[in-house]
This record gives sequence, C-alpha cells and structure tokens, in this order.
Amino acid sequence: MVEHSAQPLDAVFRALADPTRRAMLRSLAAGERNIGELAAPFSMSFAAASKHVKVLEGAGLVRRRVQGRRHVCRIRPAPLAAANKWLSFYQRLWTENLDRLDALLQAEDRAASKQSKRKEPKR
Amino acid sequence: MNTVTVTHHFTASPERVFDAWLDPQTAGKWLFATPTGQMVRVEIDARVGGLFVLVDRRNGEEVEHTGEYLVIDRPRRLVFTFGVPKYSPLFTEVTIDIAPSASGCDLTLTHTGVLNEYAESTVKGWNGILDRLDHQIAGSSLPNK
Repeated sequence: MVEHSAQPLDAVFRALADPTRRAMLRSLAAGERNIGELAAPFSMSFAAASKHVKVLEGAGLVRRRVQGRRHVCRIRPAPLAAANKWLSFYQRLWTENLDRLDALLQAEDRAASKQSKRKEPKR
Repeated sequence: MNTVTVTHHFTASPERVFDAWLDPQTAGKWLFATPTGQMVRVEIDARVGGLFVLVDRRNGEEVEHTGEYLVIDRPRRLVFTFGVPKYSPLFTEVTIDIAPSASGCDLTLTHTGVLNEYAESTVKGWNGILDRLDHQIAGSSLPNK
C-alpha cells in the first residue's frame, strides 16, 4: 500500500472535493496569491475565502504567511503527490490483478491442451 | 469524475473471465494474491447483497480485502463495493464490464470513489499539475507550456 497513513490523505481528499478550493489551488499553482486575490474570481468575502484557505492549510496543501496586513498563500505539492500516488497505486493494483488472472487462464488452457494431446492417441 | 479505469483483453470466453471473480477456488489464486504473499482466507457469497473476504498474508501481516456484491449479471457485468479496512475505513465501488470479442473478451474495470469526487483531470492531468507544482516549489520558472 501507499506509505502514507490514511488520516492526512483523507484531509487532502476532503480539501480537494470542493470546486472552489480546487480553483484556488490552480490559481496558486501559477504563483503566490493573497487572500483577496484568491477570493476575487468567486465574488466571496475575505472571511469566506479565508475559511477555504484554512481547509487547504489543514490538509497541508497551502502555506500562509502574514506580511503586514497581507496573508500570502503558497502551494505545497507534497500532499498532491501523495494523492497522485494513491491514484496510481490503484491503477497498478488492478493492472497486476488482471495480469495475474490472464496468466492463470492461459496456464489452465495450456494444461488442458496438454492433457487432450495426451489423450488423443488413445482415441 | 473520481475514477481509475483499467482495460484488459482476454483470450478466454466472457463466462470464464466472469466466473474467475466469483469462484472461490479460482479467485483465491489471483485476486489480491500478491506474488510474495499467501492467500489464507477466501470467502465469496456470490449473490447480490453477499459479501466477499480475501485475506492475503504478506511479510507476516494479514491484509483483508472485503466488499459486497451489488450487481451480478453473468457474464456481462459485476459491481461490488471494495475496501481494505486495514488501510482505510472508506468503501469504494468497482464495476467490471465484460464485452465479447472475436478472440475472447475485453474487460473494463472502473474503480470509483478513489479520490472523493476529485480527479476530473484523471491521472494524466494530475501529472501535469504536479510537474508545474514541482517547478514552482523548486523555485525555477515554469516551462512555457
């Protein structure tokens, strides 16, 4: 399994489940933003935007630093990498399972054809 | 959508591939059976509302895979919930679609709920985002597309 405990990933998924927060992250991927700049595209209040940022912070996706009266936000990629790892983990899990099933069925076929070949001369 | 999709072509008939998921003897040989592990418990109650439990022992620890069958439509479609309680309390949903083809069948596995609702961007999109983020954090300027 992925070498991260389920707890922080749950927080990451919860944070990412909200479209506003995803849009904020996309905006942050292009560079640092303050809360006002993050709020602007959504015509939401500073308080509402700050609440979203708090959730992102809690999941470790965003770091906020206070510069005078500005709250400057910066993205942190590590939890995103963990989430991405999670997705590719399942992709690999199922691919490996289906490969094993395929190999098993082919082995059964080979065993069956060997047996029928052995029987053939008797018929 | 919030989905991992994997496809696989089999030279076997749809019925054989379908039954391999529900026959305990067959399933125990491949389903969640890691190469280094040992399958120590296989219970399959193959009816809608029935449960399955497959326990694989790896490096001395037992990993239980469990879930409930939601749709059993032989040999076309199988839907079940899926969880690994050791790692997460969440249950996700797996759909197996099997379509006959000239040389056997094509199986499409769709695993939903892997990231709650996220990942419209899919795995590929993720990688693009991550590449950008990694550049960002490394302090280097973003590549121009």
